[in-house]
Amino acid sequence: MTAKRRLTFKIFLFLIFTDLLETFAQFCFKKSVFSANSLGINNLQDALLFVRTIIPSPFLWMGFLAVLVIFITWVTILSKVDLSVAVPVASFSYITVPLISSIFLHEHISNLRWSGIFFILIGVILVSASSRRQERPA
Amino acid sequence: MKQHILFIIGLIALTDFFDTVSQLILKSSINSLDWQINSLKKAFRLIWQLLKTSRIWFSFLLSLISLSIWLFVLSKTELNLAFSLDSMRYIMIAFASVIFLKEKVGITRWLGIICVAAGIFLVTMG
Repeated sequence: MTAKRRLTFKIFLFLIFTDLLETFAQFCFKKSVFSANSLGINNLQDALLFVRTIIPSPFLWMGFLAVLVIFITWVTILSKVDLSVAVPVASFSYITVPLISSIFLHEHISNLRWSGIFFILIGVILVSASSRRQERPA
Repeated sequence: MKQHILFIIGLIALTDFFDTVSQLILKSSINSLDWQINSLKKAFRLIWQLLKTSRIWFSFLLSLISLSIWLFVLSKTELNLAFSLDSMRYIMIAFASVIFLKEKVGITRWLGIICVAAGIFLVTMG
């Protein structure tokens, strides 16, 4: 039973893929909501109008598609590794998003943020290592 | 002001709690089916089996509630604060995995989880 709970490189790639898709889905949802002006929702009628304006947005549907794919990969991941391994390792997007925005959008990364990235990296390495070691005594 | 912060912390704890329960249900359902996925076809078949269990719909409902509370929190407070406090999710998931899923979390994994949670706190505050 413990043998199949190992975090393999393939599962690790799956987790990174899920992270990237998650970021993409967030981006799509934000894009679809911002294209409709959501600032003035005060009553149910406004809310219905808001929903009606975002439904034709292609971003909304791309977001839903991404969520569907995320669910498929997440179920696959959970069928192979412990929940206490999958969730922390899936925090990789907290590293990729600042790095990508620094490289492509030339956003400045503060020292505090660099130290956070460093901590997450160490944490992910430790969690991955713990899931490998667990296999041996079994 | 201080009360407002406590209210926000409470709400974030609530969304993380709902999310944790939702993940627990999903993971325990997958565990109970004990399925080996090695192809996309098998993955779809597992998902089909999952959708036939009633508790999975309860977990979807909890995710939806969690998302609604989260969106409410985002509309009421600064993004930095919300995202940093959301890192308590990792600790909750770890405790829940040990207590309810009987996962063996050793010192290395605990250290790793604490590092990840602390790291996210720093990244989102910075």
